[in-house]
Amino acid sequence: MTSTACFIIVSRNDIPIYEAEVGSAAKREDAAQLHQFVLHAALDIVQDLAWTTSAMFLKAIDRFNDLVVSVYVTAGHTRFMLLHDSRNEDGIKSFFQEVHELYIKILLNPLYLPGSRITSSHFDTKVRALARKYL
Amino acid sequence: MGREVSESCIDSLLTVMVSTYCNRFYANKPELAARRIEAIGYQVGHQLSERYTMERPRFSDHLEAIKFICKDFWFELFKKQIDNLKTNHRGTFVLQDNRFCWLTRMSIDQSPENGTSEELSIMADNKAMQSMHLYFPCGIIRGALSNLGIPCAVSADISNLPACSFVIE
Repeated sequence: MTSTACFIIVSRNDIPIYEAEVGSAAKREDAAQLHQFVLHAALDIVQDLAWTTSAMFLKAIDRFNDLVVSVYVTAGHTRFMLLHDSRNEDGIKSFFQEVHELYIKILLNPLYLPGSRITSSHFDTKVRALARKYL
Repeated sequence: MGREVSESCIDSLLTVMVSTYCNRFYANKPELAARRIEAIGYQVGHQLSERYTMERPRFSDHLEAIKFICKDFWFELFKKQIDNLKTNHRGTFVLQDNRFCWLTRMSIDQSPENGTSEELSIMADNKAMQSMHLYFPCGIIRGALSNLGIPCAVSADISNLPACSFVIE
């Protein structure tokens, strides 16, 4: 079952600190750029929505063709955004929660400057493994 | 994320940190030592607040975030809550802890009846050293609040040990 999915983490200063194509479909160059563009365009919607609710997981907030954007906001206003075509909401929520834990572990590293790019390959491997498991 | 350390280790670590920064790293520059200690506290507060807010829903306004600091955050750090919270509803909050855990091991100076100038200057030095120990918790509070979206300045006041109050603006 092939699925397209693009995952980015945006810090509170609106700087993307991590991005990954985690779908199991074949990756095409133009599709990757389009996915990133759609995700960044959805940021405004996230801003408005984030202040209206105190929940962390904002479900599907935007659609583009048949792709849906789901967002998870942490207390420090870091946004995890996922562009996907599946409808598996529980799986996506669990995915976000596990990535949140991984993100906190990265933050606990005293040598990591909050708001800078996440370059750890370990983190990258784990996120991709989680994506295969939950998406 | 579940390993534990004994509390006395943390107490000793903080005491040694303050004395090292004040006496060895920045021996004659107490302001720089204070800034460094506060910066360490800022990063720790930032990380801890991210960690402790993971399970709960997000905050809708400043007061909610301050209440979180007073209750859950303080409880996680010191196993007790803040005893008293005052606000002037114009952005200033005073958090009072009647028995601040990291200060309980400090001696309380009794002011002498007829203090000589020497004793008074020693007392002033002691006060300065005590206030050095407060930069770290101030930094923790500032880091936690900055992560929750509230830029602020935190100062501490120890007029009567072991009670301690933190003023947040």
